[in-house]
Amino acid sequence: MRKIWRGVLIFSAIAVSIPLFVLILIHFTPKPPTAKMEHARAILSQAEKNQADTYSKKLFTEAKIFYDSAMANWHNENKRFIYFRHYDKVGTFADLSVKRASQATDNSISTSSNLKVKLKQKIESLDALVVQIDDLFNTYPLTSEIRNRISKGKILLKEAEIVYNKGQYLQANRKLTDAEYLLTESYEYASANLKNYFKSYSVWKKWVDRTLIDSKNNKDYSIIIDKFSRKCFIYLSGSKKYEFDAELGKNWVGDKRTRGDMATPEGMYKIAKKFDGGKTKYYKALLLDYPNEEDVQKFKAEIERGSLPASARIGGLIEIHGNGGKGIDWTEGCIALTDKEMDMIFKIVRVGTPVTIIGSMAELKDVVDK
Amino acid sequence: MKNKVLMGLAAIAMVAFLSSCGKVPQAKVDATNAAITAAQTAEAAVYVPAEFTAVQDSMKAINAAIEVQKSKLFKKFGPIELKLDATLAQAQKVATDAVAKKEEVKKEVETTMAAVKTTMEENATLMKKAPRGKEGAAVLEAMKTDMAAIEASVAEAQAAYDKGTFMDALNKIKAASEKATGINTELKDAIEKVKGKGKAVAPAAKPAAKPAVKK
Repeated sequence: MRKIWRGVLIFSAIAVSIPLFVLILIHFTPKPPTAKMEHARAILSQAEKNQADTYSKKLFTEAKIFYDSAMANWHNENKRFIYFRHYDKVGTFADLSVKRASQATDNSISTSSNLKVKLKQKIESLDALVVQIDDLFNTYPLTSEIRNRISKGKILLKEAEIVYNKGQYLQANRKLTDAEYLLTESYEYASANLKNYFKSYSVWKKWVDRTLIDSKNNKDYSIIIDKFSRKCFIYLSGSKKYEFDAELGKNWVGDKRTRGDMATPEGMYKIAKKFDGGKTKYYKALLLDYPNEEDVQKFKAEIERGSLPASARIGGLIEIHGNGGKGIDWTEGCIALTDKEMDMIFKIVRVGTPVTIIGSMAELKDVVDK
Repeated sequence: MKNKVLMGLAAIAMVAFLSSCGKVPQAKVDATNAAITAAQTAEAAVYVPAEFTAVQDSMKAINAAIEVQKSKLFKKFGPIELKLDATLAQAQKVATDAVAKKEEVKKEVETTMAAVKTTMEENATLMKKAPRGKEGAAVLEAMKTDMAAIEASVAEAQAAYDKGTFMDALNKIKAASEKATGINTELKDAIEKVKGKGKAVAPAAKPAAKPAVKK
């Protein structure tokens, strides 16, 4: 009987002590920083959603490395005997990952939002630049290389706008940088060219003033050709009577320097001859006294300076003629009007009527503002 | 004394038994990782980035959950296996979606490219009909350069398409399309304006025969 009681007692002791023992074992089991790891993962995921991998690459990469280190450390600790495990480093790495990922998120949000604003402004300013280029230089004789650069810049600007609208700001930034380079460089080149051209404005003004005074004093007709606005003005006694659209030499910017340069000369000339009928290929024509003495001197000086080759020859046979109205600068240096306008002008001018050809009657500032 | 030793051994054996029960479902982990790699190869990050990030997040959570179980005395991988099954299916869907989206983008590039080519051909025809009044011809000259740039852009889009970078090709061809359409509208408006005014449309006038004179 005593033996039975002893057995029951032992069994009971074992039954109680084993769960107790297991509970003690569980209680003393090292606890991994599960919550910290979950938090780190959530923050890292949030950083990725905020495109920190794009806009805050360094911090995001560090955050990822810390998270991976935490996982690797956790994995290695789990290989050890359960009571020899230490999860302190796992927690430390998780904390570091959270810190970096949070910084990466903040940084990414601010960088992308700043970039978004900056890009929007850049797109708007480049759009405005394109409008300005078109307004100022659509009819200005730029080199084909510059024209191609402008066209390429416009396409890149459009591509940048498309990727910008998709939220791909870094790609948009790259395309905008390329577009900006092409457009700004072309604009600066063309503007410098234009500014340089308008350096002669004071001379042109003097010529115009003298032409108008002469017209007034002589009570006679005078013709002024404004190359920039492509206009032919007819004055009588110093007052403007008629205004026609004019077409010029293909390379009209600047003074004529040599034969075949497709430039329309600038200077104060006179009508030397009048042609009509079969005497001209251009319906009717008014031959100018180009080159005059000043043009010859300038040409010789250029040859002497070496800015023109010794083989260069001075141009000539510059006319105001018909066959115009094409809407493009197509002549080899002459001024083309429509046949109807030639009929009209032919009647009122005579041999000796002054013809003053200038770059522009308006100042550059006014031209740009217009 | 003998009993105490026996009890100790029994306890250790029990701990060893309890802690060793439940194995990491490695085969499923490997299969899911392989499916994620397949999705990556299918350019899921490019064509379905949000879905791909979600599946990667799920896998990260599973890896953490595995370590959580491995840290415990009594391991339980049943719920993880269910998550693995779901993530595997998700990864396979992401791969399929990426392929479908890529095909969709490819088709869009093809359609837009064909449309741009048609618009460009139409633009070339409209150019001949466009009015060449005051500055009109000069504007047409500038348009010709723009059209050459569009053609170059179409060629770049084609090169990106041939390389299989369809997103890049799509961005390029869309820009070219907008530009070509812009020119098309401009030309049609100019022609319409002239028709509205009842003016005759001037033919594409060529410069008169060059005189054999110095200029």
